[in-house]
Amino acid sequence: MPVDSRRLQGPESAFSYTLLEKKDANAEESILSADMQKMLIDSKQIRKDKRKPTDARPLFLRTGIISQAKGSAYIEQGNTKLVCGVYGPREVQKKSDFRLNGQLFCEFKFAPFSCQKRRSHQQDNEELVLSGLLREALEAAVCLHHFPKAQVEVNVMVIENDGSPLAAALTCASLALSSASIPMYDLVVGASVRQLPKVLLLDPTKDEEWQPELSHDQNNSNLTVGYMPSMQQVCAYVHEGVSNTEDLEQMLKLVTEYCLKVQPIVQLCLKETVEKMLANEGENKDAE
Amino acid sequence: MAEILLSEAEKAFIHHGVQDDLRCDGRTRLDYRPIILETGLVSNASGSSRLRLANSDVLVGVKVELASPLPEKPLEGRLEFFVDCSANATPEFEGRGGEDLANEICRFLQMSYMSGDTINLAELSVLAGQQCWVLYVDILILECGGNLYDTVSLAVKSALYTTQIPSIKVATMDGDQPELELSEDPYDTKRLNTQNVPCLVTLMKIGNHYLVDPTPEEECCSSSGVVVAVSGTKKITAVRKIGSGSLHPESLVSMLKTASEVGAVVNKILMKTLLEEERAGKTQKVGFMR
Repeated sequence: MPVDSRRLQGPESAFSYTLLEKKDANAEESILSADMQKMLIDSKQIRKDKRKPTDARPLFLRTGIISQAKGSAYIEQGNTKLVCGVYGPREVQKKSDFRLNGQLFCEFKFAPFSCQKRRSHQQDNEELVLSGLLREALEAAVCLHHFPKAQVEVNVMVIENDGSPLAAALTCASLALSSASIPMYDLVVGASVRQLPKVLLLDPTKDEEWQPELSHDQNNSNLTVGYMPSMQQVCAYVHEGVSNTEDLEQMLKLVTEYCLKVQPIVQLCLKETVEKMLANEGENKDAE
Repeated sequence: MAEILLSEAEKAFIHHGVQDDLRCDGRTRLDYRPIILETGLVSNASGSSRLRLANSDVLVGVKVELASPLPEKPLEGRLEFFVDCSANATPEFEGRGGEDLANEICRFLQMSYMSGDTINLAELSVLAGQQCWVLYVDILILECGGNLYDTVSLAVKSALYTTQIPSIKVATMDGDQPELELSEDPYDTKRLNTQNVPCLVTLMKIGNHYLVDPTPEEECCSSSGVVVAVSGTKKITAVRKIGSGSLHPESLVSMLKTASEVGAVVNKILMKTLLEEERAGKTQKVGFMR
Protein backbone atom coordinates (compact mmCIF):
# COMPACT_ATOMS: atom_id res chain seq x y z
CA MET A 1 0.00 0.00 0.00
CA PRO A 2 1.61 3.26 -1.01
CA VAL A 3 1.71 5.40 2.08
CA ASP A 4 2.48 9.10 1.79
CA SER A 5 3.67 10.17 5.21
CA ARG A 6 5.06 13.57 4.22
CA ARG A 7 1.93 15.28 2.99
CA LEU A 8 -1.20 15.97 4.99
CA GLN A 9 -4.17 15.38 2.75
CA GLY A 10 -6.98 17.89 3.09
CA PRO A 11 -10.45 16.68 3.96
CA GLU A 12 -12.21 15.02 1.09
CA SER A 13 -15.30 16.68 -0.27
CA ALA A 14 -16.82 13.42 -1.39
CA PHE A 15 -19.50 11.99 0.88
CA SER A 16 -21.53 8.84 0.97
CA TYR A 17 -24.76 8.90 -1.03
CA THR A 18 -26.59 7.13 1.82
CA LEU A 19 -26.84 10.51 3.53
CA LEU A 20 -29.32 11.55 0.88
CA GLU A 21 -31.59 8.65 1.77
CA LYS A 22 -35.06 9.74 2.78
CA LYS A 23 -35.43 8.82 6.39
CA ASP A 24 -38.99 8.17 7.50
CA ALA A 25 -40.26 10.02 10.54
CA ASN A 26 -40.29 6.82 12.59
CA ALA A 27 -36.58 6.35 12.17
CA GLU A 28 -35.90 9.89 13.38
CA GLU A 29 -37.70 9.28 16.65
CA SER A 30 -36.29 5.86 17.30
CA ILE A 31 -33.22 7.20 19.01
CA LEU A 32 -35.09 6.30 22.16
CA SER A 33 -34.13 2.98 23.59
CA ALA A 34 -37.59 1.47 23.56
CA ASP A 35 -37.97 1.90 19.83
CA MET A 36 -34.40 0.89 19.21
CA GLN A 37 -35.12 -2.31 20.98
CA LYS A 38 -38.21 -2.89 18.82
CA MET A 39 -36.10 -2.41 15.73
CA LEU A 40 -33.58 -5.01 16.74
CA ILE A 41 -35.60 -7.60 18.52
CA ASP A 42 -39.27 -8.47 18.27
CA SER A 43 -41.75 -9.51 20.93
CA LYS A 44 -40.80 -13.20 20.67
CA GLN A 45 -37.17 -12.35 21.50
CA ILE A 46 -35.96 -13.13 17.98
CA ARG A 47 -33.39 -10.88 16.32
CA LYS A 48 -33.43 -9.61 12.77
CA ASP A 49 -31.31 -12.52 11.53
CA LYS A 50 -33.51 -15.12 13.26
CA ARG A 51 -31.14 -15.65 16.17
CA LYS A 52 -31.98 -15.74 19.85
CA PRO A 53 -30.33 -13.08 22.04
CA THR A 54 -27.75 -15.51 23.36
CA ASP A 55 -27.00 -17.14 20.01
CA ALA A 56 -23.77 -16.27 18.29
CA ARG A 57 -23.29 -16.34 14.56
CA PRO A 58 -21.89 -19.48 12.91
CA LEU A 59 -18.09 -19.54 12.98
CA PHE A 60 -15.79 -20.67 10.17
CA LEU A 61 -12.04 -20.99 10.73
CA ARG A 62 -9.25 -22.05 8.44
CA THR A 63 -5.48 -21.84 8.71
CA GLY A 64 -2.74 -21.85 6.10
CA ILE A 65 -4.52 -19.34 3.93
CA ILE A 66 -1.39 -17.25 3.21
CA SER A 67 1.23 -19.62 1.90
CA GLN A 68 4.15 -17.21 2.30
CA ALA A 69 3.44 -16.39 5.92
CA LYS A 70 4.80 -18.38 8.83
CA GLY A 71 1.24 -18.80 10.04
CA SER A 72 -2.09 -17.49 8.90
CA ALA A 73 -5.77 -17.86 9.58
CA TYR A 74 -9.09 -16.84 8.11
CA ILE A 75 -12.23 -16.33 10.13
CA GLU A 76 -15.83 -15.83 9.17
CA GLN A 77 -18.28 -14.85 11.87
CA GLY A 78 -21.55 -14.45 10.06
CA ASN A 79 -20.67 -11.84 7.44
CA THR A 80 -17.60 -10.50 9.22
CA LYS A 81 -14.59 -11.85 7.35
CA LEU A 82 -11.00 -11.29 8.22
CA VAL A 83 -7.55 -12.63 7.48
CA CYS A 84 -4.54 -12.68 9.76
CA GLY A 85 -0.93 -13.29 8.79
CA VAL A 86 1.92 -13.91 11.21
CA TYR A 87 5.57 -13.39 10.34
CA GLY A 88 8.47 -14.20 12.60
CA PRO A 89 10.21 -14.52 14.93
CA ARG A 90 12.78 -12.47 13.09
CA GLU A 91 15.27 -9.75 13.95
CA VAL A 92 13.94 -6.49 15.36
CA GLN A 93 13.71 -4.01 12.49
CA LYS A 94 14.25 -0.79 14.41
CA LYS A 95 17.71 -0.71 15.92
CA SER A 96 16.64 1.25 18.98
CA ASP A 97 14.17 -1.42 20.10
CA PHE A 98 16.49 -3.92 21.68
CA ARG A 99 14.87 -5.83 24.49
CA LEU A 100 15.50 -9.04 26.36
CA ASN A 101 11.96 -10.22 25.73
CA GLY A 102 10.48 -10.73 22.31
CA GLN A 103 8.29 -8.02 20.82
CA LEU A 104 4.95 -8.17 19.14
CA PHE A 105 3.99 -5.76 16.37
CA CYS A 106 0.33 -5.76 15.42
CA GLU A 107 -1.29 -4.04 12.51
CA PHE A 108 -5.05 -3.89 12.29
CA LYS A 109 -6.44 -2.64 9.01
CA PHE A 110 -9.87 -2.33 7.51
CA ALA A 111 -9.90 -2.80 3.77
CA PRO A 112 -11.28 0.40 2.19
CA PHE A 113 -14.35 -1.47 0.91
CA SER A 114 -14.99 -3.42 4.09
CA CYS A 115 -17.29 -1.00 5.89
CA GLN A 116 -20.38 0.86 4.77
CA LYS A 117 -18.41 4.10 4.74
CA ARG A 118 -15.23 3.98 2.70
CA ARG A 119 -12.08 3.76 4.77
CA SER A 120 -8.83 5.44 3.85
CA HIS A 121 -6.01 3.20 2.66
CA GLN A 122 -3.81 4.51 5.43
CA GLN A 123 -4.34 3.51 9.02
CA ASP A 124 -6.54 6.04 10.76
CA ASN A 125 -6.76 6.66 14.50
CA GLU A 126 -9.37 4.02 15.14
CA GLU A 127 -7.27 1.34 13.46
CA LEU A 128 -4.18 2.44 15.39
CA VAL A 129 -6.03 2.09 18.67
CA LEU A 130 -7.41 -1.32 17.65
CA SER A 131 -3.86 -2.39 16.73
CA GLY A 132 -2.73 -1.37 20.22
CA LEU A 133 -5.57 -3.28 21.86
CA LEU A 134 -4.81 -6.38 19.82
CA ARG A 135 -1.14 -6.16 20.71
CA GLU A 136 -1.80 -5.81 24.43
CA ALA A 137 -4.17 -8.76 24.37
CA LEU A 138 -1.78 -11.01 22.47
CA GLU A 139 1.19 -9.99 24.64
CA ALA A 140 -0.63 -11.55 27.56
CA ALA A 141 -0.98 -14.83 25.69
CA VAL A 142 2.37 -15.17 23.89
CA CYS A 143 5.48 -16.44 25.69
CA LEU A 144 7.62 -13.44 24.80
CA HIS A 145 10.61 -14.70 26.75
CA HIS A 146 10.98 -17.56 24.25
CA PHE A 147 12.26 -15.31 21.50
CA PRO A 148 14.45 -12.58 22.99
CA LYS A 149 15.66 -9.73 20.80
CA ALA A 150 13.27 -10.84 18.09
CA GLN A 151 9.91 -9.62 16.86
CA VAL A 152 6.76 -11.25 15.64
CA GLU A 153 4.48 -9.36 13.27
CA VAL A 154 0.75 -9.92 13.28
CA ASN A 155 -1.17 -8.34 10.42
CA VAL A 156 -4.94 -8.38 10.46
CA MET A 157 -6.96 -7.31 7.44
CA VAL A 158 -10.72 -7.01 7.70
CA ILE A 159 -12.29 -7.93 4.38
CA GLU A 160 -15.87 -7.37 5.40
CA ASN A 161 -17.01 -5.70 8.59
CA ASP A 162 -20.42 -6.81 9.80
CA GLY A 163 -19.92 -6.22 13.52
CA SER A 164 -17.44 -7.35 16.18
CA PRO A 165 -14.23 -7.00 14.11
CA LEU A 166 -11.98 -6.85 17.18
CA ALA A 167 -13.46 -10.01 18.67
CA ALA A 168 -12.98 -11.91 15.42
CA ALA A 169 -9.45 -10.49 15.09
CA LEU A 170 -8.49 -11.76 18.55
CA THR A 171 -9.61 -15.31 17.77
CA CYS A 172 -8.08 -15.25 14.29
CA ALA A 173 -4.75 -13.82 15.44
CA SER A 174 -4.30 -16.34 18.22
CA LEU A 175 -5.10 -19.17 15.80
CA ALA A 176 -2.58 -17.76 13.30
CA LEU A 177 0.08 -17.36 16.00
CA SER A 178 -0.35 -20.91 17.23
CA SER A 179 -0.31 -22.33 13.70
CA ALA A 180 2.97 -20.42 13.19
CA SER A 181 4.43 -22.37 16.11
CA ILE A 182 4.85 -19.28 18.28
CA PRO A 183 4.86 -20.49 21.89
CA MET A 184 1.74 -19.34 23.72
CA TYR A 185 0.25 -19.77 27.18
CA ASP A 186 -3.26 -20.17 25.88
CA LEU A 187 -5.51 -19.39 22.92
CA VAL A 188 -7.33 -16.07 23.02
CA VAL A 189 -10.99 -16.16 22.11
CA GLY A 190 -12.72 -12.90 21.32
CA ALA A 191 -16.42 -12.14 21.81
CA SER A 192 -18.65 -9.13 21.97
CA VAL A 193 -22.04 -8.33 23.39
CA ARG A 194 -24.50 -5.48 22.94
CA GLN A 195 -26.44 -4.24 25.90
CA LEU A 196 -29.98 -2.97 25.42
CA PRO A 197 -32.04 -1.76 28.38
CA LYS A 198 -33.78 -5.09 28.89
CA VAL A 199 -31.79 -7.66 26.99
CA LEU A 200 -28.24 -8.61 26.05
CA LEU A 201 -27.43 -9.51 22.45
CA LEU A 202 -24.44 -11.78 21.97
CA ASP A 203 -22.25 -11.30 18.90
CA PRO A 204 -23.99 -8.23 17.42
CA THR A 205 -23.97 -7.49 13.72
CA LYS A 206 -23.08 -4.03 12.47
CA ASP A 207 -26.70 -2.90 12.67
CA GLU A 208 -27.03 -4.25 16.19
CA GLU A 209 -23.79 -2.74 17.44
CA TRP A 210 -23.91 0.33 19.61
CA GLN A 211 -23.26 3.48 17.62
CA PRO A 212 -22.03 6.55 19.43
CA GLU A 213 -24.09 8.72 17.10
CA LEU A 214 -27.47 7.18 17.69
CA SER A 215 -27.93 6.14 21.28
CA HIS A 216 -28.04 8.77 23.93
CA ASP A 217 -29.69 6.60 26.49
CA GLN A 218 -28.72 4.81 29.64
CA ASN A 219 -27.96 1.11 29.61
CA ASN A 220 -26.96 1.03 25.97
CA SER A 221 -23.47 -0.18 25.35
CA ASN A 222 -21.07 -2.48 23.57
CA LEU A 223 -18.51 -4.72 25.19
CA THR A 224 -15.67 -6.58 23.44
CA VAL A 225 -13.67 -9.07 25.47
CA GLY A 226 -10.61 -11.19 24.73
CA TYR A 227 -10.60 -14.21 27.02
CA MET A 228 -8.13 -17.03 27.62
CA PRO A 229 -10.48 -19.87 28.60
CA SER A 230 -8.01 -22.38 30.06
CA MET A 231 -6.32 -19.82 32.24
CA GLN A 232 -9.53 -17.92 33.03
CA GLN A 233 -7.92 -14.58 32.30
CA VAL A 234 -9.30 -11.57 30.50
CA CYS A 235 -6.65 -10.12 28.21
CA ALA A 236 -8.69 -7.52 26.34
CA TYR A 237 -11.62 -5.48 27.61
CA VAL A 238 -13.20 -2.60 25.71
CA HIS A 239 -16.49 -1.09 26.73
CA GLU A 240 -18.29 1.85 25.12
CA GLY A 241 -21.67 3.21 26.11
CA VAL A 242 -23.40 3.91 29.40
CA SER A 243 -23.83 1.09 31.91
CA ASN A 244 -23.98 0.17 35.55
CA THR A 245 -21.37 -2.03 37.14
CA GLU A 246 -23.99 -4.76 37.73
CA ASP A 247 -24.81 -4.88 34.04
CA LEU A 248 -21.11 -5.01 33.18
CA GLU A 249 -20.74 -7.99 35.47
CA GLN A 250 -23.59 -9.79 33.70
CA MET A 251 -22.21 -8.99 30.27
CA LEU A 252 -18.77 -10.29 31.23
CA LYS A 253 -20.28 -13.53 32.51
CA LEU A 254 -22.23 -14.07 29.28
CA VAL A 255 -19.16 -13.43 27.16
CA THR A 256 -16.82 -15.68 29.16
CA GLU A 257 -19.32 -18.54 28.99
CA TYR A 258 -19.50 -18.14 25.22
CA CYS A 259 -15.71 -18.10 24.94
CA LEU A 260 -15.53 -21.38 26.85
CA LYS A 261 -17.89 -22.92 24.29
CA VAL A 262 -15.89 -21.62 21.32
CA GLN A 263 -12.52 -22.78 22.62
CA PRO A 264 -12.97 -26.44 21.51
CA ILE A 265 -13.78 -25.27 17.97
CA VAL A 266 -10.56 -23.27 17.73
CA GLN A 267 -8.62 -26.14 19.23
CA LEU A 268 -10.13 -28.54 16.68
CA CYS A 269 -9.06 -26.29 13.81
CA LEU A 270 -5.55 -26.15 15.24
CA LYS A 271 -5.47 -29.94 15.64
CA GLU A 272 -6.43 -30.42 11.99
CA THR A 273 -3.70 -27.95 10.97
CA VAL A 274 -1.08 -29.89 12.90
CA GLU A 275 -2.27 -33.19 11.45
CA LYS A 276 -2.04 -31.76 7.94
CA MET A 277 1.45 -30.41 8.59
CA LEU A 278 2.62 -33.77 9.91
CA ALA A 279 1.06 -35.56 6.93
CA ASN A 280 2.90 -33.19 4.55
CA GLU A 281 6.17 -33.76 6.34
CA GLY A 282 5.62 -37.49 6.13
CA GLU A 283 5.05 -37.22 2.36
CA ASN A 284 8.18 -35.09 1.88
CA LYS A 285 10.25 -37.65 3.75
CA ASP A 286 8.85 -40.44 1.58
CA ALA A 287 9.62 -38.45 -1.55
CA GLU A 288 13.27 -38.02 -0.54
CA MET B 1 7.34 7.57 31.86
CA ALA B 2 11.04 8.31 31.70
CA GLU B 3 13.13 5.22 31.79
CA ILE B 4 12.26 3.79 35.20
CA LEU B 5 14.69 1.09 36.19
CA LEU B 6 13.68 -0.76 39.29
CA SER B 7 15.65 -3.50 40.95
CA GLU B 8 13.94 -6.68 42.11
CA ALA B 9 14.26 -5.54 45.71
CA GLU B 10 12.50 -2.26 44.95
CA LYS B 11 9.71 -4.09 43.15
CA ALA B 12 9.29 -6.46 46.10
CA PHE B 13 9.17 -3.45 48.44
CA ILE B 14 6.37 -1.89 46.42
CA HIS B 15 4.48 -5.20 46.32
CA HIS B 16 4.65 -5.62 50.09
CA GLY B 17 3.63 -2.04 50.63
CA VAL B 18 0.57 -2.46 48.45
CA GLN B 19 -0.37 -5.62 50.36
CA ASP B 20 -0.28 -3.70 53.61
CA ASP B 21 -2.27 -0.79 52.14
CA LEU B 22 0.68 1.55 52.63
CA ARG B 23 2.34 2.79 49.46
CA CYS B 24 5.82 4.25 49.17
CA ASP B 25 4.60 7.81 49.66
CA GLY B 26 2.36 6.94 52.60
CA ARG B 27 -0.93 6.83 50.68
CA THR B 28 -3.51 4.09 50.94
CA ARG B 29 -4.47 2.15 47.83
CA LEU B 30 -7.39 4.44 47.03
CA ASP B 31 -5.77 7.82 47.69
CA TYR B 32 -4.95 10.39 45.04
CA ARG B 33 -1.85 12.55 45.14
CA PRO B 34 -2.31 16.29 45.74
CA ILE B 35 -3.93 18.10 42.82
CA ILE B 36 -3.39 21.75 41.91
CA LEU B 37 -5.93 23.19 39.51
CA GLU B 38 -6.23 26.59 37.94
CA THR B 39 -8.53 27.74 35.17
CA GLY B 40 -8.64 30.72 32.86
CA LEU B 41 -4.91 30.96 32.33
CA VAL B 42 -4.76 31.36 28.58
CA SER B 43 -6.31 34.61 27.46
CA ASN B 44 -6.64 33.69 23.80
CA ALA B 45 -8.58 30.52 24.49
CA SER B 46 -12.30 30.42 25.22
CA GLY B 47 -11.60 28.15 28.14
CA SER B 48 -8.44 26.78 29.64
CA SER B 49 -7.16 24.96 32.64
CA ARG B 50 -3.95 23.70 34.08
CA LEU B 51 -3.93 20.69 36.32
CA ARG B 52 -0.98 19.34 38.22
CA LEU B 53 -1.32 15.93 39.82
CA ALA B 54 1.92 15.58 41.78
CA ASN B 55 4.43 15.36 38.90
CA SER B 56 1.99 15.14 36.01
CA ASP B 57 1.30 18.52 34.46
CA VAL B 58 -1.33 19.09 31.80
CA LEU B 59 -2.47 22.31 30.12
CA VAL B 60 -5.76 22.33 28.24
CA GLY B 61 -7.00 25.06 25.94
CA VAL B 62 -10.47 25.13 24.40
CA LYS B 63 -11.13 27.21 21.33
CA VAL B 64 -14.60 27.60 19.88
CA GLU B 65 -15.08 28.08 16.20
CA LEU B 66 -17.96 28.11 13.78
CA ALA B 67 -18.10 25.37 11.20
CA SER B 68 -20.60 23.33 9.29
CA PRO B 69 -21.91 20.31 11.17
CA LEU B 70 -21.26 16.74 10.12
CA PRO B 71 -23.69 15.66 7.39
CA GLU B 72 -24.84 12.71 9.52
CA LYS B 73 -25.58 14.95 12.50
CA PRO B 74 -26.93 18.25 11.21
CA LEU B 75 -28.44 19.30 14.55
CA GLU B 76 -25.37 18.87 16.70
CA GLY B 77 -22.09 20.61 17.31
CA ARG B 78 -18.81 18.76 17.79
CA LEU B 79 -15.97 18.30 20.18
CA GLU B 80 -12.56 17.63 18.68
CA PHE B 81 -9.79 16.42 20.92
CA PHE B 82 -6.11 16.65 20.25
CA VAL B 83 -3.43 15.45 22.61
CA ASP B 84 0.13 16.60 22.21
CA CYS B 85 2.77 14.71 24.13
CA SER B 86 5.60 17.17 23.98
CA ALA B 87 9.19 16.01 24.26
CA ASN B 88 9.46 18.13 27.42
CA ALA B 89 7.35 15.66 29.29
CA THR B 90 9.71 12.75 29.06
CA PRO B 91 12.58 11.87 26.70
CA GLU B 92 10.57 8.96 25.33
CA PHE B 93 8.24 11.42 23.60
CA GLU B 94 10.96 12.81 21.40
CA GLY B 95 10.06 13.00 17.73
CA ARG B 96 7.11 10.73 17.06
CA GLY B 97 7.56 8.64 20.18
CA GLY B 98 4.61 10.15 22.00
CA GLU B 99 2.22 9.75 19.10
CA ASP B 100 0.88 6.34 20.05
CA LEU B 101 0.08 7.34 23.60
CA ALA B 102 -1.37 10.67 22.45
CA ASN B 103 -3.59 8.88 19.96
CA GLU B 104 -4.82 6.40 22.56
CA ILE B 105 -5.69 9.10 25.08
CA CYS B 106 -7.39 11.15 22.38
CA ARG B 107 -9.45 8.23 21.12
CA PHE B 108 -10.46 7.10 24.59
CA LEU B 109 -11.54 10.64 25.51
CA GLN B 110 -13.61 10.82 22.35
CA MET B 111 -15.27 7.50 23.15
CA SER B 112 -16.08 8.45 26.71
CA TYR B 113 -17.52 11.81 25.66
CA MET B 114 -19.64 10.38 22.88
CA SER B 115 -21.41 7.86 25.10
CA GLY B 116 -24.72 8.67 26.62
CA ASP B 117 -25.69 12.19 27.49
CA THR B 118 -22.38 13.35 28.89
CA ILE B 119 -22.51 16.63 27.08
CA ASN B 120 -25.47 18.03 25.19
CA LEU B 121 -24.14 18.65 21.70
CA ALA B 122 -27.48 19.98 20.51
CA GLU B 123 -26.75 23.12 22.53
CA LEU B 124 -23.86 23.81 20.19
CA SER B 125 -26.00 24.04 17.09
CA VAL B 126 -26.40 27.55 15.68
CA LEU B 127 -28.23 27.01 12.44
CA ALA B 128 -29.54 23.54 11.76
CA GLY B 129 -27.58 21.84 9.02
CA GLN B 130 -25.43 24.87 8.26
CA GLN B 131 -23.54 26.26 11.21
CA CYS B 132 -22.57 24.88 14.55
CA TRP B 133 -20.00 25.44 17.23
CA VAL B 134 -16.97 23.21 17.17
CA LEU B 135 -15.00 23.02 20.39
CA TYR B 136 -11.37 22.26 19.74
CA VAL B 137 -9.97 20.83 22.95
CA ASP B 138 -6.19 20.85 22.78
CA ILE B 139 -4.32 19.07 25.49
CA LEU B 140 -0.66 19.70 26.13
CA ILE B 141 1.19 17.25 28.28
CA LEU B 142 3.90 19.30 29.91
CA GLU B 143 5.22 16.78 32.33
CA CYS B 144 4.63 13.08 32.73
CA GLY B 145 4.57 11.72 36.27
CA GLY B 146 2.33 8.71 35.92
CA ASN B 147 -1.45 8.47 35.63
CA LEU B 148 -1.87 10.58 32.52
CA TYR B 149 -5.43 9.49 31.76
CA ASP B 150 -6.83 10.85 35.03
CA THR B 151 -4.89 14.09 34.84
CA VAL B 152 -6.00 14.77 31.28
CA SER B 153 -9.66 14.03 31.96
CA LEU B 154 -9.84 16.26 35.04
CA ALA B 155 -8.11 19.09 33.18
CA VAL B 156 -10.46 18.75 30.21
CA LYS B 157 -13.52 18.77 32.43
CA SER B 158 -12.30 21.94 34.17
CA ALA B 159 -11.52 23.64 30.89
CA LEU B 160 -14.95 22.80 29.47
CA TYR B 161 -16.59 24.05 32.65
CA THR B 162 -15.04 27.47 32.20
CA THR B 163 -15.47 27.69 28.43
CA GLN B 164 -17.39 30.76 27.33
CA ILE B 165 -19.28 30.43 24.07
CA PRO B 166 -20.31 33.77 22.52
CA SER B 167 -23.99 34.35 21.84
CA ILE B 168 -24.93 34.35 18.21
CA LYS B 169 -28.26 35.45 16.90
CA VAL B 170 -29.53 34.34 13.57
CA ALA B 171 -31.05 37.23 11.69
CA THR B 172 -33.19 36.14 8.78
CA MET B 173 -32.91 38.51 5.90
CA ASP B 174 -35.33 38.99 3.07
CA GLY B 175 -33.30 36.81 0.78
CA ASP B 176 -32.67 33.16 1.62
CA GLN B 177 -29.34 33.82 3.27
CA PRO B 178 -29.64 33.98 7.04
CA GLU B 179 -27.04 36.16 8.68
CA LEU B 180 -25.26 35.50 11.91
CA GLU B 181 -24.97 38.34 14.37
CA LEU B 182 -22.43 38.24 17.11
CA SER B 183 -23.52 39.90 20.31
CA GLU B 184 -21.80 43.26 20.89
CA ASP B 185 -21.20 42.58 24.54
CA PRO B 186 -18.06 40.43 24.87
CA TYR B 187 -19.30 39.13 28.20
CA ASP B 188 -22.56 37.92 26.76
CA THR B 189 -21.63 34.28 26.66
CA LYS B 190 -23.12 30.97 27.56
CA ARG B 191 -21.54 28.04 29.26
CA LEU B 192 -21.96 24.31 28.78
CA ASN B 193 -23.51 22.05 31.35
CA THR B 194 -20.61 19.86 32.36
CA GLN B 195 -22.32 18.14 35.27
CA ASN B 196 -22.28 14.73 33.58
CA VAL B 197 -18.94 15.00 31.87
CA PRO B 198 -16.94 11.87 32.72
CA CYS B 199 -13.74 11.62 34.71
CA LEU B 200 -11.29 8.87 33.94
CA VAL B 201 -10.06 6.66 36.77
CA THR B 202 -7.01 4.46 36.26
CA LEU B 203 -6.67 1.35 38.38
CA MET B 204 -3.48 -0.67 38.14
CA LYS B 205 -3.22 -4.20 39.50
CA ILE B 206 -0.25 -5.10 41.67
CA GLY B 207 -0.34 -8.58 43.16
CA ASN B 208 -3.84 -9.21 44.48
CA HIS B 209 -4.76 -5.57 44.96
CA TYR B 210 -5.35 -2.58 42.76
CA LEU B 211 -4.24 1.03 43.11
CA VAL B 212 -5.72 4.35 42.21
CA ASP B 213 -3.42 7.03 40.79
CA PRO B 214 -0.22 5.01 40.31
CA THR B 215 3.20 6.65 40.32
CA PRO B 216 5.61 5.81 37.47
CA GLU B 217 7.39 3.28 39.73
CA GLU B 218 4.12 1.57 40.57
CA GLU B 219 3.15 1.54 36.89
CA CYS B 220 6.43 -0.24 36.22
CA CYS B 221 5.60 -2.94 38.78
CA SER B 222 2.18 -3.58 37.40
CA SER B 223 1.41 -5.56 34.27
CA SER B 224 -2.24 -4.69 33.77
CA GLY B 225 -4.96 -2.28 34.75
CA VAL B 226 -8.15 -0.62 33.60
CA VAL B 227 -9.08 2.92 32.71
CA VAL B 228 -12.73 3.64 33.47
CA ALA B 229 -14.69 6.71 32.42
CA VAL B 230 -17.20 7.51 35.17
CA SER B 231 -19.87 10.12 34.56
CA GLY B 232 -21.38 12.43 37.11
CA THR B 233 -24.25 10.04 37.71
CA LYS B 234 -21.94 7.16 38.72
CA LYS B 235 -22.50 5.42 35.39
CA ILE B 236 -19.62 3.97 33.42
CA THR B 237 -19.31 5.39 29.92
CA ALA B 238 -16.16 3.68 28.64
CA VAL B 239 -13.69 1.09 29.86
CA ARG B 240 -10.39 -0.09 28.48
CA LYS B 241 -7.94 -2.58 29.77
CA ILE B 242 -4.35 -1.31 29.55
CA GLY B 243 -1.03 -3.06 29.92
CA SER B 244 0.21 -6.36 28.57
CA GLY B 245 -1.01 -8.57 31.38
CA SER B 246 -4.31 -10.30 31.91
CA LEU B 247 -7.00 -10.08 34.57
CA HIS B 248 -9.31 -12.60 36.16
CA PRO B 249 -12.98 -11.78 35.45
CA GLU B 250 -13.76 -11.47 39.16
CA SER B 251 -10.95 -9.01 39.83
CA LEU B 252 -12.01 -7.09 36.74
CA VAL B 253 -15.56 -6.75 38.04
CA SER B 254 -14.42 -5.61 41.49
CA MET B 255 -12.07 -3.08 39.88
CA LEU B 256 -14.97 -1.67 37.88
CA LYS B 257 -17.08 -1.35 41.01
CA THR B 258 -14.30 0.45 42.88
CA ALA B 259 -13.65 2.70 39.90
CA SER B 260 -17.26 3.85 39.76
CA GLU B 261 -17.21 4.69 43.49
CA VAL B 262 -13.92 6.56 43.20
CA GLY B 263 -15.05 8.33 40.05
CA ALA B 264 -18.20 9.59 41.72
CA VAL B 265 -16.16 11.07 44.58
CA VAL B 266 -13.64 12.68 42.23
CA ASN B 267 -16.43 14.21 40.15
CA LYS B 268 -18.09 15.66 43.22
CA ILE B 269 -14.89 17.18 44.59
CA LEU B 270 -13.93 18.61 41.21
CA MET B 271 -17.29 20.31 40.75
CA LYS B 272 -17.10 21.70 44.27
CA THR B 273 -13.63 23.10 43.64
CA LEU B 274 -14.63 24.66 40.35
CA LEU B 275 -17.64 26.33 41.95
CA GLU B 276 -15.47 27.71 44.74
CA GLU B 277 -12.98 29.10 42.25
CA GLU B 278 -15.76 30.73 40.30
CA ARG B 279 -17.20 32.28 43.43
CA ALA B 280 -13.80 33.62 44.47
CA GLY B 281 -13.90 35.73 41.34
CA LYS B 282 -11.11 37.19 39.26
CA THR B 283 -8.40 37.22 41.87
CA GLN B 284 -4.75 37.29 40.95
CA LYS B 285 -3.80 34.40 38.73
CA VAL B 286 -0.95 32.28 39.99
CA GLY B 287 -0.17 30.89 36.57
CA PHE B 288 3.16 29.23 35.99
CA MET B 289 5.05 31.06 38.65
CA ARG B 290 4.39 28.34 41.18
